[in-house]
Amino acid sequence: MQMNKKTRQQLDLLKLLVKKEITLRYKRTYLGFLWSLLNPILTGIVLFIAFNIFMRFEVENFALFVMAAIFPWTWFSASVTMSANTLTGNVSLIKKVIFPKHFLLLATIIAQLVNFIFSLPVLIALVYYYGSSPSLNWLIGIPVLVIVQFVVIYGLSLLISIANAFFRDLEHIINVLVSLLFWMTPIVYPLEAVPEEYRSLLVMNPVTYLMQAWRDLFFNNMLNWHNIFVSAITAVAILLAGLLIFKKLNRKLDEVL
Amino acid sequence: MIKAENLWKSYPMKQDRPGLKEFVINAPKFLKDNNNRFWALRGVSLLVSKGESLGVIGRNGAGKSTILSLLLGVAQPTKGSIEVSGKRTPLLELGAGFHPDLTGKENIVINGVLLGHTEKEIRAHMDDITAFSELGDFINMPIRTYSSGMMMRLAFSIAIHTSPEVLLIDEILAVGDESFQKKSGKALQDLIRGGVTTVYVSHSMEAIRKTCNRAIWLEQGEIRAEGESGLVAEEYLKAQRQV
Repeated sequence: MQMNKKTRQQLDLLKLLVKKEITLRYKRTYLGFLWSLLNPILTGIVLFIAFNIFMRFEVENFALFVMAAIFPWTWFSASVTMSANTLTGNVSLIKKVIFPKHFLLLATIIAQLVNFIFSLPVLIALVYYYGSSPSLNWLIGIPVLVIVQFVVIYGLSLLISIANAFFRDLEHIINVLVSLLFWMTPIVYPLEAVPEEYRSLLVMNPVTYLMQAWRDLFFNNMLNWHNIFVSAITAVAILLAGLLIFKKLNRKLDEVL
Repeated sequence: MIKAENLWKSYPMKQDRPGLKEFVINAPKFLKDNNNRFWALRGVSLLVSKGESLGVIGRNGAGKSTILSLLLGVAQPTKGSIEVSGKRTPLLELGAGFHPDLTGKENIVINGVLLGHTEKEIRAHMDDITAFSELGDFINMPIRTYSSGMMMRLAFSIAIHTSPEVLLIDEILAVGDESFQKKSGKALQDLIRGGVTTVYVSHSMEAIRKTCNRAIWLEQGEIRAEGESGLVAEEYLKAQRQV
């Protein structure tokens, strides 16, 4: 296929930024890229011990129940948290070189997506451990949910990165906000465990639908189209808001960086 | 070709962020944000035709770097219009676009792609770039081990080997040693003779005289003098001696 030079160059740029993001993280380590696989394995072991032995809700296969949502959540939370510093942490690049700034955001999200993909073997191992196996639904569900979640994260990253350039207070509270969202989303507990009167709060949280959809896929081997649909609609709305605000504030960005 | 008309550029001049209390009370005022702005450029017009080389001189804070940022397009003018035809190659800040933990070679690839080339094109020029930079074995070392002169050599080598059309240079060449200064000066003149348009900010009047055919002298965001580079440089030096 013949690709025009401009597209080729943009793809090369994105590829190099992703590669840089991934390799730099492990640059001065002995195990290097192996950490990408080792991390989810170790996380898996910790969660397995924590949720299979110490804390048990009345849910069968509780460790798998938690991990089915926590790995996608990690992709979400890590990318969103890092996005706060993407613009403010690359000042010399942004002010002294011309290139599409949003590539920096995309590179972070893709690098984190790679980490998420490396956690899938851990999930699959656990699924087999509990005597089940991945079904054909995974082949449809994973790509669909990856796309939906990618859009959500990208929209939020646009908003957060540009907002933090103008209001640096944000980077000090982003961790708290993300952890609030973590506990407001049924990830380490089932939605049904929340007292009835508060459940509606969680149902208003769009991330709930997304994480439930992941769990239905990995834990129940089921495509929850209702949740996927709700998540997709929210994703598009967040992305549009993100693009609009980013574009508007971008013109003033050089004055505050 | 570069054509800029009546450029004005202001920056917000907050010493600091307002405290939360003031911010809440005066929110509409802060959001309007046209209070207390510093004017870095006040109505500067430029015309640099293809193959010309314009020197920009002036004291610190006169607006020299602001002009380069506007011409590059990383900042937007508050008022006025800019037209630049041709691929812009910046040499504005030492190490911009480099990552300290990557090797010289890895940085060549990233930098070249950032400058608008495909990875393949850059790899094809790799040998020329490394040879010109004279970095020897350091080219395979992380650039955090480089001196500032070495970093500049790398940046300059990349810039001139990526077929620049409009070169925007801010001072950084000054950190090179004598022999590289000569070499880079000559390479620059060859490029200019070959039709590359250049805007060159420097405090070295000798470099301005040698490289540029025309020059402008900026003072407090306005053009104080303009003309043949030797004459403007001389006038500037004379004024500085009187201070």
